[in-house]
Amino acid sequence: MSILQVRGLRKTFGTVTAVDDISFDVRPGEVFTIIGPNGAGKTTTLEMIEGLQTPDAGSISIDGLTWAKDADRIKIRIGVQPQSGAMFDLLTVEETLELFAAFYPKSKSSAEVLEMINLTDHRKKRVKSLSGGQRQRLAIGLGMINDPDIIFLDEPTTGLDPQARRNIWDIILNLKAMGKTTILTTHYMEEAEKLSDRVCIVDQGRVVTLDTPGALIDRLTKEREVRLSFLDGEEAAAAAESALQAQPTVVRTARDGSSLALWSIQPEETLYGLFGFTKEQGFRVEQVSIREMSLEDVFIAFTGKEWRD
Amino acid sequence: MSQGKQFGKLFSANIKMMFREKQVWFWNLFFPIILMSIFILIFGGGSDKAFKAKVAVVKPEQSQAAEGMYQGLKQIPVFTWQSEEPVSQEQADSLIKNKDVDGVIVLPDNGQAQSIKLIVNRENETSATSQALRGILDHFVTQANFQKAGITPAFKLETDSITSGSEDLSSVDFLMTGMIALAIAQGGLFGMVDLVEMRRKGLLKRLRMTPVRMGLLGLASMLVRFVLGVVQIAVLTVIGVYGFGAHLHLDIATLIVAFFIGSLAFNAIGYLISSFSKSLEAYMGVANIASFLMMFISGIFFPVNSLPDWLQSVTSAIPLTYFVEGLRDGMVYGEGLVTSDFWFGIGVLALWGAIAYMIGATLYRRTKVEVR
Repeated sequence: MSILQVRGLRKTFGTVTAVDDISFDVRPGEVFTIIGPNGAGKTTTLEMIEGLQTPDAGSISIDGLTWAKDADRIKIRIGVQPQSGAMFDLLTVEETLELFAAFYPKSKSSAEVLEMINLTDHRKKRVKSLSGGQRQRLAIGLGMINDPDIIFLDEPTTGLDPQARRNIWDIILNLKAMGKTTILTTHYMEEAEKLSDRVCIVDQGRVVTLDTPGALIDRLTKEREVRLSFLDGEEAAAAAESALQAQPTVVRTARDGSSLALWSIQPEETLYGLFGFTKEQGFRVEQVSIREMSLEDVFIAFTGKEWRD
Repeated sequence: MSQGKQFGKLFSANIKMMFREKQVWFWNLFFPIILMSIFILIFGGGSDKAFKAKVAVVKPEQSQAAEGMYQGLKQIPVFTWQSEEPVSQEQADSLIKNKDVDGVIVLPDNGQAQSIKLIVNRENETSATSQALRGILDHFVTQANFQKAGITPAFKLETDSITSGSEDLSSVDFLMTGMIALAIAQGGLFGMVDLVEMRRKGLLKRLRMTPVRMGLLGLASMLVRFVLGVVQIAVLTVIGVYGFGAHLHLDIATLIVAFFIGSLAFNAIGYLISSFSKSLEAYMGVANIASFLMMFISGIFFPVNSLPDWLQSVTSAIPLTYFVEGLRDGMVYGEGLVTSDFWFGIGVLALWGAIAYMIGATLYRRTKVEVR
């Protein structure tokens, strides 16, 4: 059961292949996140689904409707917040919402949308004078003015400060609570991990992998990174390193002065053994940390690329 | 939701946006008002007042002939005198150099030379005032000769100026209607800059994602431009009539036809410019060139017949020429709908509009959405 079905999408601009072969299904009510490096084809994919670009190959079905036959019916069932966020700068927030509301046969009241995007106090302000976060919230508000079943948010938090980002997360979680289907692209892994039901990693115009954030992280090798530093200096660190290398659970180690890093397939057991050794030797361990695996590691593992925010 | 309500919202949104934009006020109202005032003060001032020239006379002492001529000159009403008494040659030279007078008349002494001399500043040698002074003195000398010879002239010249329309058509009327035509034409040429901005910022794309009809959007912004045009006509006319004494001979039907077709034509040209301009700067550049060229060779401020022949043939091809003629038909000549000239002009305007729109629409359709 899926509300959006994408099969074998392909789009080229001249000699550039923006989207090579993308297929996925989105289930009703879920937050579906597409992540990938710049130029991976995220925006082009969204624009094809939103009906702005015609795919060279492949098919898109939105709740059984297609752009070729049912463009007008699709338009009233989807809401879009495009990356550019272009609006009429000289209208007020309220006027903008009411103008867009007039485009649709059925719409939410502007008061209701203003409440949801938390702009009620700024409704008389001109769009020109809004802050980045307020402007972005208005763009999302315009995407939900027609009370759509599916809402597309293209990098809604890019360039916003942490507080403004959190405000937008609240809106997205709210939409989810209302049973709306949200398709999201983002640059922030933390955001994808926190908000998404499922994540689709795209690279070079292809789907690299697609699953829930938890399952993707679990799929990584069980190797975990542990970092320690020793109060007794380099000597202690070097002794600990050679002791660790004898342990079968340790894959490899690295040392920089009195700091030591190790990769273990069973960190608890490794640490148990290590602390036995340090106690025996009388070494004092200053800091210990086990790094959490995140989507960022998933991304690096699947694409072989560094992630940059 | 009905198309009617969509249109109503689009129209009111467009009206709000237009009147909230300070640039619109400046370029479409204040600038034309200032320009019109300056042009009328420079070129239109003479028509209301009688011609006046400020002169001084150098009169040799003890000259009977000079004294007689001096008294004769004093009778000429268009001269205002620098001083009641004649001046010396040295004073005269400095008056001319400082441009304190338009000309100095040097009367003959008793010797052989019986000529009257007119001295003007070289800078003004070909000015209208110098020409007129020369004409008046020439006439004066002829009269003096006739008198001396006792001849009564057999022929006399009587002049009366005639315009093709109302009797009291003045150059103020000419300049006022020219300015109105220019203001509306520029409103159309420059007005489509919004479209370039909307495309560049992705607003057109955003609107395409909604069910709104793009045609409706175009219609609404067109109607708003008509409102602006009506405001321009009203404001400039009121200032022309009450501020500078322009005369109106309105023929509303002619005015409406000329205004409607003219506005459409210039908006279509603006639309054409917007279709190939990727940026605001590119658009403004092209629109400025078009506007300047038209301003000087269409005869809105200067009579066309002072231009070289080859340029006059350009004049007869550009739309502003016909637009200003149509407006003058409707505002100062008080006729038009019945003349074939009027309909020929309207036809040329309509043709310009239709061709510009078609090329523009084709270019818009060809433009690919940019790659991301």
